[in-house]
Amino acid sequence: MVKGLEDRLFNVFVYAVLVFCALLAIFPILYVVSVSITPFGEVLRNGGFILIPRDVTFSAYKTLLTQSNLPQAFKITVLITVVGTAVNLILTGLMAYPLSRKNLPGRRIFLLMIVFTLIFSGGLIPTYLIVKSVGLIDSIWAMILPNAIWSFNVLIMKSFFEGLPEELFESARIDGAKEFRILFQIVTPLSIPVIMTIGLFYLVGHWNEFFQAIFYVTDRTLFPLQVIVREILMQSQQTLENADNITPTQTLQMAAVMIASLPVLVVYPFIQKYFTKGMLLGSIKG
Amino acid sequence: MSSNSIKRASALLTSFALLGAVVSGCGNGGNSEASSPPASSSSASNPASTEAASPSASANPEKKIKLEVIETGNNLPPPDQDIIKKELDKALNVDFNLTVYASGDDYKNQLNVRMASGNFPDLFALDRQQLIEFSKQGLLLDLTPYMDRLKQVSTFIGEENVKKGAVGGKVYAISKSSQIPYNTYFIRKDWLDSLNLEVPKTIEDLKTVAAAFTNDDPDKNGKKDTFGLTGAELNGAFAPVFGAFGVGSPGSVYEKDGKLVNALYDPAMKDALAFIKDMIATGSVDPELLANTAMQHQEKAFKGQAGIIWIDWPNMTKENMIEQIKAVNPKAEWIQIEPPAGPAGKFDGSWEIGNTPGRYAIPKALEKDPEKLQRVFDLLNYVSDPKTGSLLVQFGVEGMHFTKDGDKIVMTDKAGEVGYSWLYQFTGRPEMSYLQTKFVPQAEFIKFAGDQPRIQTLNGFVDLPEGYVASDADRYIKEELAKFAYGQRDLGEYDKFLKTLETTMKYKLFMDAAQEQLTALGYGNK
Repeated sequence: MVKGLEDRLFNVFVYAVLVFCALLAIFPILYVVSVSITPFGEVLRNGGFILIPRDVTFSAYKTLLTQSNLPQAFKITVLITVVGTAVNLILTGLMAYPLSRKNLPGRRIFLLMIVFTLIFSGGLIPTYLIVKSVGLIDSIWAMILPNAIWSFNVLIMKSFFEGLPEELFESARIDGAKEFRILFQIVTPLSIPVIMTIGLFYLVGHWNEFFQAIFYVTDRTLFPLQVIVREILMQSQQTLENADNITPTQTLQMAAVMIASLPVLVVYPFIQKYFTKGMLLGSIKG
Repeated sequence: MSSNSIKRASALLTSFALLGAVVSGCGNGGNSEASSPPASSSSASNPASTEAASPSASANPEKKIKLEVIETGNNLPPPDQDIIKKELDKALNVDFNLTVYASGDDYKNQLNVRMASGNFPDLFALDRQQLIEFSKQGLLLDLTPYMDRLKQVSTFIGEENVKKGAVGGKVYAISKSSQIPYNTYFIRKDWLDSLNLEVPKTIEDLKTVAAAFTNDDPDKNGKKDTFGLTGAELNGAFAPVFGAFGVGSPGSVYEKDGKLVNALYDPAMKDALAFIKDMIATGSVDPELLANTAMQHQEKAFKGQAGIIWIDWPNMTKENMIEQIKAVNPKAEWIQIEPPAGPAGKFDGSWEIGNTPGRYAIPKALEKDPEKLQRVFDLLNYVSDPKTGSLLVQFGVEGMHFTKDGDKIVMTDKAGEVGYSWLYQFTGRPEMSYLQTKFVPQAEFIKFAGDQPRIQTLNGFVDLPEGYVASDADRYIKEELAKFAYGQRDLGEYDKFLKTLETTMKYKLFMDAAQEQLTALGYGNK
């Protein structure tokens, strides 16, 4: 009985902590949502802080979607996210799978080369020179190809593939399957969790694409979402050195933030369930 | 580069190119599997590659030339909606590609990478420090021999500004024509009225009014929820107070009684700090003064928390700002006031005359492409022509965005469409007439702010000496002055502060450089 009480107290404590953490996480999002749908005058009247909007307007969203570069940037971001993630997954998978096979000749050397890139990188200017010399400057491929494979994700995928029972491959071979058939019909369906997890990493990475766009792209029509959103947010942080500048209201800024982050917020819950099985490096997982 | 290092570099490049080929080869495979439209759209929206293939093919002198310009800025519309771009394309027979970066840091990174990798834009903005560095590295085109082909530019910006783009007697950059000051104190007239107070005339008045705004409930809501003065940090809020003591903003250099003085060494500095300390001690100054970044002080003023603010007129009097002020309190009435007088008269803070609002340089590599170089000159001359191009980049297209009434320019209601045109003002603009034409309802505020007396500082003329790290010294100055102003460090230790500054922060280097360079320019020898 005593133990039961202790257990219950412990549960209450755990729940309290979890609820508190959840609130901490929800709070800023709620604030952003509220401000983005409240007229700015109303925001100011309330001392700049609003959690529950009383006066709702979508004019900020309308302004952004009709009078700014956001819609164009949105298209670019969706494009690089979809194409980029597909490229990423195919390349990462094709790299990780052979490395997971113990009988691959030179496996150790390949692995060492991959790990080497985790620790050392060429640096900004050599990378820029390569991107320039292969003619990627000012194209959407500059935001996709330079990061087509993240070495760390290769290692995660490799260790997932290694976890697949060897007997599976043996029986497939006995039934006459060749390497490609094994990869696509046996390994791939079994690897949905890791593909989804790694895919989400890549997807969020592409969605937040910023630095490569800043460095490799000068064509304004190719700027992705985050560059434009940053532009909108930066404007309000500069004092007017020029009378022509227009400072966007906080409502407008928050609406821009929402437009930029909503799609990922929507995708996350659907993929999250794969996380329990998907990512593992060493040790044992369910 | 020695032949050895070339070999090494080329070996490296080859290996990287191989890698790149592998990666891009796979990439294409991945793409064809994903979907084909992206490939076509990427090549369609990539004029650079198609353009690059053609230029050597035709030798037509009237061919369209692609010009690339990068700078900081914001709100540039996409090229197909950019009327200014279209007009420039037409007038100069170019394909103009302007890229703007909202953040100064992003821009600096982009510029540095491109300069380091030899992928030069045709015209780019840079600051004085970069101008010196890049010109020393031989990356910038020396414009001195070309000045006769830039006549329109030099007439437009004036001899004074041509000099500002010079390093070691050679002109490496075109400096924009000068700006005029925007800032003044603004004060809540309705608060003054409700407390039966007069507009403060002296700094003592300012102190009294600020205290009354804090203690006497000027908004009559029965709560003590207001304070007197706010601003962007110490120097921002108290600029006219420093001015009233005849002191420039901390760290500035100016002429006083015919001699060069650094504000920190100005004997009146201590008096100014003492006064500021007293005023802060009354509790009538924004308690978060030092933490105010960006436009937080403005927000506080709009919200009705503060009654006096030192700020620029656009942020206070433009239509959308008025709207925000009225949304919180329809009775709020902000008026612009003259700087309060003090022992040394009245000055509305400092005004830097050595600076320019922007400078643009051309890469040395463009020497080899005289045709393109000529177009860049054409561009600069065109936007400096008061009859044509300058009007375009100031006000937009005649008949659409503005009309001429004799010599007078009147903006139409479509003028808002080209609010970004300032991004194309590569050589600046005649500031006062420009502002008054473009911002008619604000004309009085503009003139008022422009007319106030200022202490003219000369820091812009001083090139920082090697070994002196300005950011470190500035931070130290800011921190210590804040301690003096908030009474955390006794003013008796002021000389000790200067000592540390001179030795640890190497401020002496800067002082000597300023003295030497400004004397050479003819300042301080009266």
